Amino acid sequence: MSLAIAGMGWVTPLGRGVDSVWERLLHGDEASAVTISEEFGDRPYSVFRVPESALTGFAHSRLRRASAISRFATAAALDALDAAGVKIDSQNTEKIALIFAISNGGVIYTKRFYRDIVKEGAQSASPLLFPETVFNAPASHLSAILGITGATYTLLGDGAVGVAAIKMAEDLMANEAIDHCLIVGTEELDWLLCDAYRRWRLLRAAPPIEPFSKQKRGMILSEGAGAILLAREGGLAIESAHPVGYFTKRAEAVEILKRILRDLSLREIDLVVSSANGTFVDEAECRALKAVIPNALVYTGKPALGESVGAAGLWQIILATQALRSAELPPVLHADPAIALPLPLSRTPMTGARRAIVLSCGLNQQAAGLRLAIR
Amino acid sequence: MANPSSSNGKKVSVRVAVVAAGVVSPLGFGLAETLESLRRARDCVSPVTRFSVTQCRCKTAGQTPDDRLLAGRDEGLRGQRLHRASHMMIQALKEVVTQQPQFNPELTVIGTTSGGMSYGERYYRSLRQAEELRHAPTWIANYPAQKPVLDAQAAFGICAPCQVIANACASGTNAIGHAFECVRSGRYQRVLAGGYDAISEMVFVGFDSLQASTPEKCRPFDRHRTGMVLGEGAAILALENLESAQQRGVPVLAEIVGYGISTDNFHITQPNPSGVGPRQAMERALQSAQISVNEVDYINAHGTATVFNDAAEGKAISALFNGVPVSSTKSMMGHSLGAAGAVEAVFCLLALQHQFLPSNINFSASDDDLDLNIVANETRPAVLRTVLSNSFGFGGTNASILMGKFQA
Repeated sequence: MSLAIAGMGWVTPLGRGVDSVWERLLHGDEASAVTISEEFGDRPYSVFRVPESALTGFAHSRLRRASAISRFATAAALDALDAAGVKIDSQNTEKIALIFAISNGGVIYTKRFYRDIVKEGAQSASPLLFPETVFNAPASHLSAILGITGATYTLLGDGAVGVAAIKMAEDLMANEAIDHCLIVGTEELDWLLCDAYRRWRLLRAAPPIEPFSKQKRGMILSEGAGAILLAREGGLAIESAHPVGYFTKRAEAVEILKRILRDLSLREIDLVVSSANGTFVDEAECRALKAVIPNALVYTGKPALGESVGAAGLWQIILATQALRSAELPPVLHADPAIALPLPLSRTPMTGARRAIVLSCGLNQQAAGLRLAIR
Repeated sequence: MANPSSSNGKKVSVRVAVVAAGVVSPLGFGLAETLESLRRARDCVSPVTRFSVTQCRCKTAGQTPDDRLLAGRDEGLRGQRLHRASHMMIQALKEVVTQQPQFNPELTVIGTTSGGMSYGERYYRSLRQAEELRHAPTWIANYPAQKPVLDAQAAFGICAPCQVIANACASGTNAIGHAFECVRSGRYQRVLAGGYDAISEMVFVGFDSLQASTPEKCRPFDRHRTGMVLGEGAAILALENLESAQQRGVPVLAEIVGYGISTDNFHITQPNPSGVGPRQAMERALQSAQISVNEVDYINAHGTATVFNDAAEGKAISALFNGVPVSSTKSMMGHSLGAAGAVEAVFCLLALQHQFLPSNINFSASDDDLDLNIVANETRPAVLRTVLSNSFGFGGTNASILMGKFQA
C-alpha cells in the first residue's frame, strides 16, 4: 500500500518548524551542546537540547503538568496538521488514527517518581507524577488536545521505531474508515539516559558526532519530536515500508540492513538517509550501502541534530522528504572526506532526484527502512 | 453468526481463527492448569515477596512463582541475564509452539506497560546508592519493552517483525485486536498476538500512591469494593486466516470476530463516569463483528474493582446489554496490566471451549447503582457462542474484542 505525506512538524535542538530547521541544516548549522549533571552522578554529559525558544507561545492547559516529551510531541503534531490543512472536528474524530513512536518515554518524571521512593520511601510517592510515567501519557495528552476518539496506539522500540510506526500506519489504513494517520516520534533527555548509553559504550563525552568514522567514538543524545500526517493521496508517497528486522549481535546488523536495502532498491534510488550516529551502526550501514547501492548519495543529519532515538526515524523521514522536495542536500557534518561513501560534504543539489530510502538501524536489535518517492 | 466485516462496513471474506494459545499467570502455567484454576475459582493473590511493601496500603498481588518460572531456563549466562518478563514470554510462546510448531508468523503484536522495569529500578538504585554497577549493562540491555518479545522469538527461532504496543492497561487487548484486523484485512495470514507484564516496585507503589489498590480483597463490582490488586503474567494467541488454518488441517480453538477501540480523553487516570469510552469500544466491537448484543453470552469485564472503573464500565454494560453474565477474573489473579487483555482472552478461549462462565470471586453484595448479572464466586456451566473481553487503560484508552466458538 502506498501512502502520502500530507503534513510534517519538527521540534529539534535547531528549533521548531520544518522549513526553518531545514534552512539551518542547509547552511551547515549544528546544534549547540549543553552539559547536564545529576546530584548523585559522577560525571556530566553533553547533549543537544531543544531550546526554550522553540516552544515559546505554545501552551495548553492539558500540558500544565506534562513532561517535556508531551510538549514536544504536541507542538510537532499541531504543526503537521496545520501544514496539511487538516482540522479535527466532530466529523472526523474517529477517522484520524494516532500512533506514537517512543523508545525511552517520559524518563524525567519516571526518574523523579522513583527517586522519591528510593530516597524517602513509598509513602512519598507522588500520585501526580505516576500517570506521567506511563508510556502512553504523551499520546493521551495529544489525543485529548486534538479530540481524537478513535484508534490511538503507542508503539515502543529503539531508533527504528519511527519507521516501524509507518508500517503500522499502513496496517491501520488498510481500514478505509480511517482517512489519516498522525504519527509522532518523540523523546526527552535526562542524565540517566546518557549514563545508560555510556555504559553501553555508545556515548561520546562531547561533540562532534563523526559519522562513518572507523573509530566509532560514539553519539551525542538529543531530544524533540517529529510528526507526519499520512493521507491516501499526495505528491510525496511512502512507496514501501519494510518490516522491522532483528539482529541478536551487533555484527549481524549488516546482513539485516542489506536485506532491507535490497528489498527497497528494486527501483532506482537517488538518496539514502542513514541513521549513522558515530556508533557500531555506521559500520553496519556503510557495509550494507556499499554492497547494495554504492552510488546513491548518503546523508545523515545526526552530527547536526544528535541521536534522538524514538524521534530519530521520523526526523530521517522529514529529512528525506525535504531533500526530495527541495532537490538539494545539506552537508554531512564532521565526516572524513576519505570515507568511501558518496557523502555530500557541502550543500549539494539533487536535480531530478525522485526516490529516497530511509534506513534506520536501532541500538537495541531493530532495523527498518522505507522508500519515499515524488509522484 | 453473521459474516464478519471490516469496521468500515464493507463485507470481507476473511475469518480469523485462534489456532494455538499459551499462558503463564498466577492461575497456572499453561492452559490445563489455568482451566483447573478457573473452574475451581481459585484466589491466587498472595503477599508480595519481591520487594518491600511495608509503606504501602496494599500488600498483596497475583504473582507467578520464580521457582517454576525460572526452572526451565537456559542455565547459560544468557538465560541468567534475562528479565523475568522474558521468561514469562518464553514459557507462553513455548506452549504455542508446542501446539503449532509450523505456525511461522509474519508479524508479532504484543502489549506491555512496563517492559523490564525492575531492571531499571536496580540500575537506578545502584547508581543512587553508589552500589555495585558491574551488571548495569545487562540491566540496561534487558530493560527495553521489545526485549522479552525478541527473547521469546529467538528461543524458538522465530524472526517475525514485532509491534510492541503500550496502551496502558488496554495494551493486551489492543495487541490482539490490531492483530485480528491485520489478518482480517488480508494483509497477513498468521500473526502472534498477546501481552506481558512482570510486577515491579515502581508500578506497585504508583497504583498505591493513587489509592487505586486495596489493602483488602479485590472485589470487582461489589458494593464494598475498595480497589485493585496487581498481577503479572504473559499470554500469546496464534491467529490465522481461517481458510489457511483449514488448508493446513490444524484444529481451530475459537475465532476472533470483532474489535473495538476508543479514546475518551476525559482524564489521564480516571474514566469518564458516563461510561462513554467503554461503551464506544464495545459498540465498535459489535459493529465490527456485525452481531447484536443478544448474541453475546458472557462478558469478561475489565473490572479492576476500583470505585470509578467498575461504575463506568458497569454503566456502559448495563446500557448496552440486558442481563448478560459478567465477571472480572482479576478477582482471582489481580490486574496484570499489559498482559491482562491477553491473559483474559485465553480465559475467554477456555470458557468457549469448555462452555462455562468464569467467576467473579470475593463478591458479597451487589452495588445498587449497577444493574449487572455477576457470575458470583462460583464457576457456572453455560452455552457460550460469543464472548466479549474488555480492557481499559490510563489516558482514556479503551479496547474490546469479541471471540466466538468455532463453527465450521
